[in-house]
Order: sequence, then structure tokens, then C-alpha cells
Amino acid sequence: MAELINPNPEVRGRKQTTRSVECNPNCGEGDREPIDALEIFEHIRDITDPEHPNSLESLSVVDEKLIEVDDARSCVKVQFTPTVQHCSMATLIGLCLRVKLLRCLPQRFKVDISVTPGTHASEAAVNKQLADKERVAAALENPNLLDMVNKCLAASEVDNLANLAA
Amino acid sequence: MGTLEELQTLEGHSDRVWSVRWSPSGDMLASCSGDKTVRIWTRQRSSGRWACCAFLEESHHRTVRSCSWSPDGRYLATGSFDATTAIWERQDGVWEQVATLEGHENEVKGVAWSPSGSLLATCSRDKTVWLWESLPMNEYECVDVKHGHSQDVKMVAWHPKGEVLASCSYDDTIKLWVDSDDEWICVQTLAGPGIGHTSTVWAVAFEVSGARMVSCSDDLTLRVWSCNFDDVGEPNWKLQSVISGYHTRTIFSVDWSPQGAIATGSADNAIRIFTETGTSPDTGVPGQPTFSLAASKESAHLSDVNGVHWHPKLPGLLASAGDEGVIKLWQFTPAELLSLHA
Repeated sequence: MAELINPNPEVRGRKQTTRSVECNPNCGEGDREPIDALEIFEHIRDITDPEHPNSLESLSVVDEKLIEVDDARSCVKVQFTPTVQHCSMATLIGLCLRVKLLRCLPQRFKVDISVTPGTHASEAAVNKQLADKERVAAALENPNLLDMVNKCLAASEVDNLANLAA
Repeated sequence: MGTLEELQTLEGHSDRVWSVRWSPSGDMLASCSGDKTVRIWTRQRSSGRWACCAFLEESHHRTVRSCSWSPDGRYLATGSFDATTAIWERQDGVWEQVATLEGHENEVKGVAWSPSGSLLATCSRDKTVWLWESLPMNEYECVDVKHGHSQDVKMVAWHPKGEVLASCSYDDTIKLWVDSDDEWICVQTLAGPGIGHTSTVWAVAFEVSGARMVSCSDDLTLRVWSCNFDDVGEPNWKLQSVISGYHTRTIFSVDWSPQGAIATGSADNAIRIFTETGTSPDTGVPGQPTFSLAASKESAHLSDVNGVHWHPKLPGLLASAGDEGVIKLWQFTPAELLSLHA
């Protein structure tokens, strides 16, 4: 990249997260724990920004508060906040989020990815592209684009493997 | 309410099924998929069940998005994200690729054979619609390239009489094209506040008579358009009714049966059937029909329903294509027939 879109982003540390609701005591062995916003956040927080060597969490692009989950209705809504209004990487970030959740959530989930309202100059256009499954499917058949997505996802996937091993 | 009964699940594709199309005589079903293949299904004489009888593979190297049968059922055209359209010919039960149509800059999203079989229309993410003439010896010649849409063109569909081609797009519009002195011109664009769809138009389908057309969209509505003729006899398509309030996610596919039922496939996993129920009590205007839900199947597929297509001959037989990689066959029975049988 010749010139950075946001040369000096604000970087914050990794937040300690705790489940706001304790595990249901009536939840017996074999019962499935419903998927919640924290679980979704754990999946996406370590995705690397396409432009900086930082995680989406550290750049405040993703936030647990901007994730809505309705497990019973199999719906997940994730809003993300580009670091600058004219971020040309917004669609790529959205695509990374979509691919990550596509890979780690059961197929029954309907995932909606959108820009946090008011945080991007082309908000409607970015949202429309991210919602178009045909465009997303075609993008993921493009080896260069898929390579870029996989590079951004690599850190988050390593982390998941580490969690599994722990 | 009528019923929509599941008859059979056809398994075999290893990725999402994008589209299903019955052959003109109804003896074959073609399906195309993200697994880069096309499958042909026929009815087994012994069991009466549908089974896969042919794979069309190793031609497209990316998703096969759509397919269309020639009117005589001998050829199948397939459009792929690899930017090409392939023509397949069936001879003695064996399918062979006989032509490749190249020209689109990127993903071919829709392909449609004209009712006479002499023309093939294709559309692409490159925003264009191409018209190809079918010549002897499996030659195809591009006769026109139409610009006009400002975004990718999702689908093309021919009027049953073959004089009008409809295209619909990510630009939220539907365009109608006619042949005028060897050039295809856009005679009407269905769009705008209070008239057109407010998001991507995914598909259009004509009523069997050609008098009306239905479109479906990411705006969660269906729109029914009727063809009126003005003083000088030029066709003019007008919005006749809006069907809304049923779908909770994008409507990807719509088809109008020879018996008059409209079927939809949606990202909310449901298949819905609508039939006409007479004049609207709100407007009371003759010729302003309303459509109401005649049957529905929530969770028809485990995931998005990408395509629906009515059988051309057997009333109420519907095929659907699902994101989970399966095709399902359904029997729609309208309420009137159910009460007759009761």
C-alpha cells in the first residue's frame, strides 16, 4: 500500500471480558449453551485490520456492545466502525467479518453485517454490498481477495486453535 | 389455506444450489450450483422418484449461477461466475458441451433462451445485457450489447411471446427491451418513488399469457406489473399491486405457474404461494386485483431458498433450490381443491 488511509489510528489494549449472565444452573450436561454476543465477539476481536498490524478490537472497529444475538431466532447482527469516514477498506473489513462468522457459526444463523450508522461516507453502498450474497460468493471465488481475507483472519484463527488446545 | 407438501429431496450437490429449471416438456430438471457443476434429474420409471441422470462438469471453473433450456429441450445454456456461458447438447442421452460464449467482463448471473430458440440473452456483473443469435452448426453470434443498468444485472427473462426482454438489477430497476430495426432498445424502466422497488431486484417472471409480470426484491416485496397499450398501440407496463408483509428477508426468486399461482423463495428459508383473490376492497377498482397467501412452508429449506420453478405441465409441482445444497420437490394444492376432496 503506497499511502495509508488512516496513518495514525488510535490503538487500545485487549479488554478483559466476562459473561454478563452466569451459566444457567438448570443447564444440564448435553444441553446446548445458547450463543451470545460475547461468543461472537471472541470470534471476531482478533481479526487483523487490512491496513494496520492491529486487531479490529484494538482499533475499536468491533465492540461487544455493537453485537446483537437472538439464538432462538438464529439471528446475529454485527455493526462495525471504520476508523475514518472515507475508509476504503470498509467493504473488506465487512467481508472478513462475514467470512469469519460463516466459518465458525452453525449454518442456521442469519448474519447481518453493517457499518455503525453515521460512521462511513458510503454507508448505504457498503451495507448493500455486504448484504448481497451473490456478490459475497463471487468475491470469495476471487483468489486475490480470498487471500487478503485469509491474511486478516489468520490471527483470529490461531487464537481459536490456542483456545481449543487450552 | 392450501397446502404445500414436500414430495422428495434431491441430494448430490456439494455446495449451495443457485437455480433449478424444468425442461420445457417437464421430463427433466436441471440444477446448478456453487460446486461448479450442473446436474440433470429425471423421473425413474420404476419408482416414480426423481434421480440424477447426468453431471455437466469440467467446463465452468467457478460457480454455475443460472441455466436455461432451449424451447425444444435439446440444449441447455449455463451461465457462470467464470464470465462464460456454456451451451450443452443432449444426444442419445449424453450431454456434450458444444459452444462457449465469451465476452462478458466478469460474472454471468443470468441466461435465458427466447421462446423461439433463435436468441439467447445473458447478463452480468459488468452491468450489460448481451443478445446472442443461435446459428447452424452450434455457432453463436453476439448481435447486441446493451448498456443501461448502472449496476450488476441479476437476471434476464423473456416475455412468453418473445418480443420483450426484461432485465432486473442491483440498481433497483427493471428494464424492458424490444427489437427495433435490428437494435434492441430499452423502451421502459420500471423504477422510482412509489412505483419501483427500493432495493436490488433479484428476479422477474411473466404470467403465462404475458399480460403481467411479477418481480421480487431485497426490499421484501413482490410487485405485479400489467401491460397496457397506449393510444398508438405501444405497450406500457404499470404497477398493478404490491405484495408485502410476508417475507422477513430478501426474496431471491419468483415464478408464476401456468395455473396462476405465484411462488417465492426467500432468505427467510420459506417458500410462499400467492394467488389472486379478486378486486381489492380498499380501492374497489376493477382490474386492481389483490393477491393473498395461498400456502406457505416456513423452514422449507435449512437455509436460504435461492430458486423456485413451477413444472410446466403438472399442476402444482414446484422445485426449489436451497443454500444447504439440496433441491426439493413440492406439491401445491389450492384450498378449493382441498375442500372438493374433503
